[in-house]
Amino acid sequence: MRSLLLLLPAALLMTAQTPPSTGPTHKKSIPERKAAAVPVAKNFKLSGSPSAPITVEVYTDYECPSCRTLYMDVLPPLEAQYVATGKVQLLHRDFPLSQHQFSRIATKYANAAGQIGRYELVANQLFKTQADWSQNGNVDGTVAKVLPPGEMQKVRDLVKNDTHLDDTVTADLAMGARDNLNQTPTMVIVNKGKRQKIDGAVPFNILKSYLDQMLAKG
Amino acid sequence: MLPANPKVQRMLLLLGRLLLAGIFLAAGYLKLREPWLQFAVSLNSLKILPDNLLEPVSRILPWCEVALGIWILSGIWLRWSAALASLMLAVFFSVLVRSYAMGLQVDCGCFGSGEPLGPKTLARDALMLALAFCVTIAAFRMRAVRTARPPADDSHPSSLPSGTEQSRPA
Repeated sequence: MRSLLLLLPAALLMTAQTPPSTGPTHKKSIPERKAAAVPVAKNFKLSGSPSAPITVEVYTDYECPSCRTLYMDVLPPLEAQYVATGKVQLLHRDFPLSQHQFSRIATKYANAAGQIGRYELVANQLFKTQADWSQNGNVDGTVAKVLPPGEMQKVRDLVKNDTHLDDTVTADLAMGARDNLNQTPTMVIVNKGKRQKIDGAVPFNILKSYLDQMLAKG
Repeated sequence: MLPANPKVQRMLLLLGRLLLAGIFLAAGYLKLREPWLQFAVSLNSLKILPDNLLEPVSRILPWCEVALGIWILSGIWLRWSAALASLMLAVFFSVLVRSYAMGLQVDCGCFGSGEPLGPKTLARDALMLALAFCVTIAAFRMRAVRTARPPADDSHPSSLPSGTEQSRPA
């Protein structure tokens, strides 16, 4: 009887994942897709070499405090050590949550700024001053502080008139649904066609260790 | 505390043992199915471990849970395996209560990711802790009853409650 009972967990374990990068993580919940097949929202949200072995997709909401932590503390060293060196390709994805009142409009401003080549600057400003505009809703004034008047006017025009500005957000939300996203921030690490979803703000030193192991495995 | 009927005692202890083993096996298995990075993020959000311990703990703890589940399932030295389970669950529960009291919006991380910490998860963990305590106490009491029996009774090991150490060293 005892040996029969012991066989059950052994059989279960045989199907469990052992190596972190090759196992069937989220196999049931996330259909495996080739990295190349991942739809790219807009080029301004993608950085790094297309031949990088790993793609890190980051789903954020401009009004979420943990996303701010990720954006301010984790992404800069990730970009410097992995994206700039061609090891990782980084893709920003928008995932505005319904409970955040000003998140949608902030996303519009960031994407409009992206259309005129100012995505990084505006996204950085929005995360940096999140505590202010998430209280008073003054997204326009916040963005205006970092853009010259001419560019700011272009952004305003795009926000007001570009009916396709939300297309990328819609695509990101659909992709998030396919990734079974239930919170922000969430990282999806794509390696060898496998998508591994990591919920929550990942500390950089732990992410670094994980990426190094993935890269070492080739 | 224990029912008078030895058969009922045996059945209850076996049931508790299987349930407790199942909990630990499921907790370990579901964590192992995910990348260790996910569990490290859950541990980090609880703010209980220094950064340098996040990786080793997130790699080792799920295997420890599986090992403990198998140990409990085997019934070998049940009182000690159940006591260890109680201790582990007491530590987990304290950490979760602390995080909840601090108002941290975190993932429980008990059975893999995607389970926010809240009253429901705390109540479930409290029940698991109570179960572990009950199994531990029952295993110790049955062991005490067995050792207190007259020598003649020891010649009938088949009458011993399942889950106690029939032929194992004390």
